[in-house]
Amino acid sequence: MGLLSIIRKIKKKEKEMRILMVGLDNSGKTTIVLKINGEDTSVISPTLGFNIKTITYQKYTLNIWDVGGQRTIRSYWRNYFEQTDGLVWVVDSSDLRRLDDCKMELDNLLKEERLSGASLLIFANKQDIKGALTPAEIAKVLNLEAMDKTRHWKIAGCSAYTGEGLLEGFDWLVQDIASRIYMLD
Amino acid sequence: MDDEDNPEQTLQKKHQLMLERLSARHQTRLETWKSDPSDSSTTTAFLSRFNDWKKSIAAQIESSADPSGLPDISAAISDLEKFVAENSYLLPSYEIRSSLKTISDLKQSLENLTSQLIPKKKFSFKTSKPTKTQTQIDTRIPQPDTVSVPEQRASCPSRESPGFRHKQNQVLSQNFKGSEIGEFTISDLDSCEVKLIGCVNALFFNRLKNCKIYAGPVMGSILMEEVEDCVFVLASHQIRIHFAKRSDFYLRVRSRPIIEDSDGVRFSNYCLKYEGIEEDLAMAGLDEETGNWASVDDFKWLRAVQSPNWSILPTEERVGDVDLVNSRSGVRFKRSTTRESGKDNH
Repeated sequence: MGLLSIIRKIKKKEKEMRILMVGLDNSGKTTIVLKINGEDTSVISPTLGFNIKTITYQKYTLNIWDVGGQRTIRSYWRNYFEQTDGLVWVVDSSDLRRLDDCKMELDNLLKEERLSGASLLIFANKQDIKGALTPAEIAKVLNLEAMDKTRHWKIAGCSAYTGEGLLEGFDWLVQDIASRIYMLD
Repeated sequence: MDDEDNPEQTLQKKHQLMLERLSARHQTRLETWKSDPSDSSTTTAFLSRFNDWKKSIAAQIESSADPSGLPDISAAISDLEKFVAENSYLLPSYEIRSSLKTISDLKQSLENLTSQLIPKKKFSFKTSKPTKTQTQIDTRIPQPDTVSVPEQRASCPSRESPGFRHKQNQVLSQNFKGSEIGEFTISDLDSCEVKLIGCVNALFFNRLKNCKIYAGPVMGSILMEEVEDCVFVLASHQIRIHFAKRSDFYLRVRSRPIIEDSDGVRFSNYCLKYEGIEEDLAMAGLDEETGNWASVDDFKWLRAVQSPNWSILPTEERVGDVDLVNSRSGVRFKRSTTRESGKDNH
């Protein structure tokens, strides 16, 4: 029995998934996590450090690591890469000016070997704001089509404010991870 | 004794034999040269043949106009090189050196010719640029410390969010009431006064100098970068302040304001008045003073002691209530003379 199959068995027992939420500051990472957990989203301070939420989602337990996106603390993201099953990249679709920053940070992240097996969900957040770019436009700016062919990825529009699109996104992510780790059980 | 001498003797014998063989070979070579009827002396014969050869190659290089002849010239040069190598036994060292020099010169001129006829492809990244007619979203003045990647910029949609940009010494007003505006951008202003009335989802501030900004409630977040010597009167759910210098903030925030890469920033409570602001604040969920304006997180100062980058604005330095009065000619700015420091939470 190989190491991989042992790990698979352990994971299968626990049905746990580790999900890392990253993205520029002000993109709405914490709001998304609190919203899907049904918590109050009206008072959220910019994340200094990180939050961990354990959420039961379908038959799985999601450990969601929500890491602060301020420039100063982005260099600490790498401390959370280990054993990440799913990566959620959150984009503020109304922040046209910083899309280049956003692309650059995402490109850097995807170069990371420890994340190479992780499924990638891109949330084009703040779709409720008038003037926000559509998911298709965000995909074009981030040049997602040029991504490494082995990567499982999806872009989904959402609004953490209204909650629209969040469950659809997480459904895909969880199913995709499940089909890789638990081999469609 | 014999046994001991033997190895030495055989060695000497072998050495002798080898010398003889070498000298014999040298002799044969000399004889072959001499037996050649066309040559009187080895060196002069070599030199004349070498020079003829060299001239013919040089002529070929000069007259060559298309790349198809290049392999032939290259082959001729290697032949000449081989010829020199074969005769190196018989030539004085000076002649060898000078002929080798000639060959390397020939090679160099052939190389020059090659690069002329077949220009080397410059190494470059190519990106298929879509339409070049798109206006760039970001029209910031190029800064040496920011890496600009035009290829990526070109792929940005041409859309630009509504806002005030690139203005000097102006009073700018905007009423969001009944408008379809979601996010609003204020950038590259110098010595301007900006008055925003009504609710908006998000505000972006960039590169402001010596400006005064008064805004009604923001239902989402405010993001700010590179502001200097400004005064802001703002209410929002979240506010992030980056690269701010010597600026005062009069805030009402539902969460803790944060600063990053900033210094000389001071904070006080929100003090804006205009007709109907109470309803707007209530609609945005900002009708209550939270006192958060005084709980600033400095991301560049992650320690328990107070950050040196920000402070609470001393009461005596605060402006009083700022009243944006609607009049026929738009919004007029009126600053009340009475200080209402009694309203402070702290």
